[in-house]
Amino acid sequence: MKIWTSEHIFNHPWETVIKAAMQKYPNPMSPSVIGVDVLDRDVDQQGRLHSKRLLTTEWGLPSIVKAIIGSSRTRTYIKEHSVVDTTEKTFELQSTNVTSTNMVSVDERLTYKPHPEDPEKTVLTQEAIISVKGISLSSYLEGIMASTISTNAGKMLYSCKLYCCNSELC
Amino acid sequence: MNSVGEACTELKREYDQCFNSWFSEKFLKGDRSGDPCTETFKKYQRCVQKAIKEKDIPIDGVEFMGPIKDKPES
Repeated sequence: MKIWTSEHIFNHPWETVIKAAMQKYPNPMSPSVIGVDVLDRDVDQQGRLHSKRLLTTEWGLPSIVKAIIGSSRTRTYIKEHSVVDTTEKTFELQSTNVTSTNMVSVDERLTYKPHPEDPEKTVLTQEAIISVKGISLSSYLEGIMASTISTNAGKMLYSCKLYCCNSELC
Repeated sequence: MNSVGEACTELKREYDQCFNSWFSEKFLKGDRSGDPCTETFKKYQRCVQKAIKEKDIPIDGVEFMGPIKDKPES
């Protein structure tokens, strides 16, 4: 099992960042996410917006490999639950893969909050727990996956920043 | 961005447009006066749930790392 955490700061206020984060896909820095669907959405009694989404991701394998093994085996589906609390100014997301679970389990949690010292900035905290199952190289592979998640998080941040700066949200 | 069901992509786009507008212009500004996207969402959902069943995607009963904490009662 591998636990990976990171913290990043956006130079934009919380409302701007979460508008961008809600519309994060598609973006060129995350080509593996090929589909996003909302399964459920409601506002609870405390006025918080809950969303449950299904993300479709495609492994970056060469076309010939996908043709041989079939696209159903190169897709991984991820279920995400998020909560926007405009009173506390938090946007929390949790996600986990619902397929390929016999091979790997990736649980991620993200939290967006205003920077405690500067309301014009937003802090993103990310945490991932990765478990690769049933093989003796699991610790090594977990390390690679944590590194990949870290690289992808950097790309995601870049894409969020790109989105913020290129859209009318800035 | 596409939907999990290819046939649902247009319905998804219609719903996303409605939601993003409501989210930015109403919800984030504290306006809880109602959801204008209910009907659009229902149409979109019927399509998505059918696609999920057809593709046999196991979305029910998934445990996350832990519950997103409930706001304490004031």
